[in-house]
Amino acid sequence: MTQLPLINFTLIGVISAGCLCFSAMSQAMGTPPQKTARTVAESNANAVMLKADVLRATPNAESAELSRIEKGARVRLLVSQGGWSQITVINKTGWVRVLSVSSEARDAVDLSDLGALGRKPQGRVVAVAGTRGLDEENLKAASYSEAEIALLHGYLMGRAEAEQFAESAGLRARDMPYLATPGQ
Amino acid sequence: MKSRYLWLVAGMLSISQVQANELESLFKGLLKKKLAPPAQEQPVNPAQPAAAAEKPADQLLKALMGGNVSLEEEVRIGQQIAGNLLGAAPLVRDDGLQRYVNRVGRWVSLQTERPDLAWHFGVIESDDLNAFAAPGGYIFLTKGLYRKLNNEAELAGVLGHEIGHVLRKHHLKLLQKSQGIAALGGILGRKLKNENEVLQNLIGNGAEVVARGLDKDAEYEADRIGVVLSARAGYDAYALPAVLAEIGHVAKTDKSVSLLFKTHPHPEERLGQLSEAVGEKLDALPEGQSGAGRFYRLR
Repeated sequence: MTQLPLINFTLIGVISAGCLCFSAMSQAMGTPPQKTARTVAESNANAVMLKADVLRATPNAESAELSRIEKGARVRLLVSQGGWSQITVINKTGWVRVLSVSSEARDAVDLSDLGALGRKPQGRVVAVAGTRGLDEENLKAASYSEAEIALLHGYLMGRAEAEQFAESAGLRARDMPYLATPGQ
Repeated sequence: MKSRYLWLVAGMLSISQVQANELESLFKGLLKKKLAPPAQEQPVNPAQPAAAAEKPADQLLKALMGGNVSLEEEVRIGQQIAGNLLGAAPLVRDDGLQRYVNRVGRWVSLQTERPDLAWHFGVIESDDLNAFAAPGGYIFLTKGLYRKLNNEAELAGVLGHEIGHVLRKHHLKLLQKSQGIAALGGILGRKLKNENEVLQNLIGNGAEVVARGLDKDAEYEADRIGVVLSARAGYDAYALPAVLAEIGHVAKTDKSVSLLFKTHPHPEERLGQLSEAVGEKLDALPEGQSGAGRFYRLR
């Protein structure tokens, strides 16, 4: 079911807006039917803990500890700011590290994507036409393009130009060491 | 000294037509020795004199077998792979987009130990979600992935991940390990003289090398580098994890992620690894920019 409309993506020139909607619809349909199986309490969950973490009162490592949450626990993700995510678990709301929790694909997200696709039928179709896939087969069969390399090299950006961009954007370089492999 | 000896041996063997498998085991042993310590980062010097014109094919092979690929050779290998990849998926014809991606990518690359490499960035025509790196500073992302991004910090994070592959020479090592030996066997047998033939023989078929997965640890390492480089460049350090989470929401059966998921650990595993690596280490870092206002929107 999900394969069929995607084949359409590789057809050049015959793609219609209808196909795209169809594709998005079947994608939405392709999401696992977990929602119906959830209990009432779980139906609020939209995220899962990737690691055990401490639930804190404020987004700060020094703040009061409200409870400990196990890896794999399903929680409700409210908002993320900087390095912290606000979550509700059971009946407590607090903050955990943003990388401790991962949001799950929600049906609502799929539906809004569907709407977004429906709103821009033409532009998307034009962009898709002429696109080649990138699977192992066509990568293997690819041959060197002198013209494309020349075009790419034409965009080469000098160091000074990049620094100028950063300055005008207010981007300031900061010191930070590379992160070690976990457990080493 | 050792590589000189190696070449003397290689020359003798080729003359006496020794069996290819004997050759292979001999070089496997030598290669292992050479590859054991991670290749030292060479000082970047774009003005490095070109390798002597005589027998360029021999020089390239020698360098690869010895694990001492010069900057020039690294770039040559990367350009061949990049050109092949672009043969499969050309650049999106949008000057504004390509310039923008080069601006952001170049700024991120300035935060690395190879700031003077000629870093090239490109958005390629494909609805797949993927990004690629080739040795010598060639970085690509697909239009499909670009569409998924919400802001400049996320772009910086993705480019930072790919820059990480170049910095740690992940693909170069992959070529040295797997193809180098096979290439040598083929070359001694068929007496390839042309440098381009040697290059292509080394790389394999077309741009297939970018479809060959690196090991998981190389991907986790590139994720860590992506986070750090974004942070160094003044961006929100959590933007790359946000992209990974977004990609993780795409159904595994969706064709647009089939190659990505085949060659990379699942985003959830990657996020878990990042989480372990980051721990409290970003706590003191002031919040970076998202650059949402500057983000170049595709037409």
